[in-house]
Amino acid sequence: MSSLSLKGIRKSYGSMEVIKGVDLDIEAKEFVVFVGPSGCGKSTLLRMIAGLEPITGGDLDIGGKRMNDVDPSRRGIAMVFQTYALYPHMTVRENMGFALRFAKVPRDQIDAQVNAAAKILALDPLMNRYPKELSGGQRQRVAIGRAIVRNPQVFLFDEPLSNLDAELRVHMRIEIARLHKELQTTIIYVTHDQVEAMTLADKIVVLRDGLVEQIGRPLDLYDDPANQFVAGFIGSPQMNFLPASIVEKAGDTTTVALTNHDGKRLTLPVAAGKVGDAVTVGVRAEHFGNAGSGNLDLTLAVDVAEHLGSTSYVYASAGSERVVVEREESRHESNSDQITVSISADKAYLFNAAGQRLR
Amino acid sequence: MNMALLRRSATYALLSLAAFISVFPFIWMALGATNKSIDIVTGRLSLGSNLLVNFRNLLAQVDLVRVFGNSFLIAIISTLLTLAVSSLAGYGFEIFRSRVRERVFQLLLLFLSIPFAALMVPLFVLISRAQLNNTFTAVILPTIASIFIIFYFRQATKAFPGDLRDAARVDGLKEWQIFLFVYLPTMRSTYAAATIIVFMGAWNNYLWPLIVLQTPENKTITLVISTLTAAYTPDYGVILLATVLATLPTLIIFFVLQRQFVQGMLGAVK
Repeated sequence: MSSLSLKGIRKSYGSMEVIKGVDLDIEAKEFVVFVGPSGCGKSTLLRMIAGLEPITGGDLDIGGKRMNDVDPSRRGIAMVFQTYALYPHMTVRENMGFALRFAKVPRDQIDAQVNAAAKILALDPLMNRYPKELSGGQRQRVAIGRAIVRNPQVFLFDEPLSNLDAELRVHMRIEIARLHKELQTTIIYVTHDQVEAMTLADKIVVLRDGLVEQIGRPLDLYDDPANQFVAGFIGSPQMNFLPASIVEKAGDTTTVALTNHDGKRLTLPVAAGKVGDAVTVGVRAEHFGNAGSGNLDLTLAVDVAEHLGSTSYVYASAGSERVVVEREESRHESNSDQITVSISADKAYLFNAAGQRLR
Repeated sequence: MNMALLRRSATYALLSLAAFISVFPFIWMALGATNKSIDIVTGRLSLGSNLLVNFRNLLAQVDLVRVFGNSFLIAIISTLLTLAVSSLAGYGFEIFRSRVRERVFQLLLLFLSIPFAALMVPLFVLISRAQLNNTFTAVILPTIASIFIIFYFRQATKAFPGDLRDAARVDGLKEWQIFLFVYLPTMRSTYAAATIIVFMGAWNNYLWPLIVLQTPENKTITLVISTLTAAYTPDYGVILLATVLATLPTLIIFFVLQRQFVQGMLGAVK
C-alpha cells in the first residue's frame, strides 16, 4: 500500500512558482530521500507534506486520505528539524512528551511512550537535562526521540545532520539507518548531501528548480542517470563531462569526436542522436581504465594527485578541460606528470545539448 | 608598558568620574533623608540623625499606605497589560506576513515622534467623554499599547527561531498556545527587560496622572511628592525621604531582574 502520494503538487509565492508539479508515490516503510542543490525546493516540498506550507495545487494523500488542508498535528507525521527545534525551557523528558500532553494523552501513557523512545535512543541518562546542557549529537537524538514518541505514520527529516561535525554526522547517519530498520516506518529525508542520500535511501528523488529530475534506487540513479544533472549530482567525485560531437551513426551505435582531444573518436552503443549534434560524453572517475584496457586512450596532464590510501584521485587536464581519475592498483603512477587513461564505450554515457541522456 | 598603564589609569579615572556623577544624586538623596531641612539647604553631606523625625513628619502629611498602594496597583496592572498587549502585537508583526504589515509598522513608529504634550488634551477629552476621569483606568488605558514595547518585542522576535514555531505546530499547538507555551517562556529575558522598562515608566508617570487623578485618595507617590514641594516652607528632609521611598520599588525590581535585563537587552534567546 502506498503510504504517501503526491499528485501534481505545486507551490507558488505570488507569481513565483517554486514547486512546479511533483508526482510521487512512497510505499509504506520506505526510506525516501529528497536530494538536490540548495534552492531546488526539497525543503519546501517537505514542509508542504508536513502542513507547514500551504499547498497551491495538486493532491497530497497520506495513508489514503487527502491531507491538503489538514492541520500538521493530524497528518500522522512527525518532523525532525535541521536546528533540532527543541523547546529551550523544557527538559528532555518534557520536550519528548509535549505533543502528547497537548493531545490530552493520560500521563502514565505519556511516560510509557517517552521511556520507550528514550530506550531506543539511549537517552535515559539525559532525561532531566535542558537542551542547552546537551551536545549537538544528543540534541539531535532528543529531536528524533520527540518524533518517535508521536508514533507517526511518516517521519520527516529536514537536513537533520547538517549542523553536526563530520564524524558525528557519519555516526548519526548510521543511527538513523538503524532506527529505520527498527521502527519500520516511512521516512522522508531531505538533504543536499548526495552521500547521505546514497547511503540511507531506499529511493532517491532528485529535485532541481522545483521539478523532479529522476526517481529511483540509489544504485539505479548512479548506474543509469536519466540526464546530465542527475549524472553529475549523484556520485562523488562528480562524473567527468567531455564535450564532443556526433560524427557517425551506424545502426545502434554512435561515434563521437572528443572536442578537447584532437577529435579522437569513440563509438558508443547509443541509438539516439544525429550526425553533427553537439553532445557530452560522461565518464565516472572510477571508470577510467589503464592505458589500452578500453576503447579509447586519452593522455592527460596531471595537475594534482590526492592519495586517500586505498585509492587515489588524480586531477588532470587536457587544455581547459578538467578530469578526475580514480586509481586503485596503479595509484603510485599518479605522481608522474602525465597519465594515459582508457575509456570503455560500455561505461560511458552520452547526453545531448539539453542535458538529456541519449540511449 | 608605561603608556598602556597610563591609558588604563585614565580610563578608570574617567569611568569613576562618570559613575560618581551618576550615583551622586542618589547618595545626596539618601543622606538628605536623614538630615534636617536646614542642614540640606546649607549643603551638609554627612549622615544625619533626623531620619525618624522626617519619617514621622512624612506620615503626618501623607497616607503612605494608600499612596503606595495606588502607585503599585497602577504600575502592576499597567505593566501586566502593556506586556500582554504589546508583546502580542510585536510577535504578530514579526511572525505574520501581510502586505500592509510594514506600512502599518512605519506608521506606528511615526506616531512615536509625536510628543505626549500634543496628545494630552485630546486624550483628556476622550477619557472625560468615556466618564473615566479620576479613575485608575484613565491612567492605565493609554499606556497599554506602547509603541516602543511593540517595537522592542518585534526586534526581539526576530531572534525567535522559526523552527520552534513549526515544531510546536507539528506538535498540535494552536497559534495562541504557541505564543503562551513556547514563545513566552523562551523569551523570558526579553520580558524581564520589558518589565523593568514598563514598570519604571508606569511608576514614575507624573504628567498624565496629574491631569486625570483629581481627588487626594487617588493620588500616586509621584503626585504626592510634588505636593510636598508646594508647601510654603518645604521640608527637604521629608521630601528626600519620600523620594528615597519612591525609588525603592524600581530599584528592587531592577536588581532582581538585572541578569535577565542585560540578557534581554543583548537579545539572547537561549
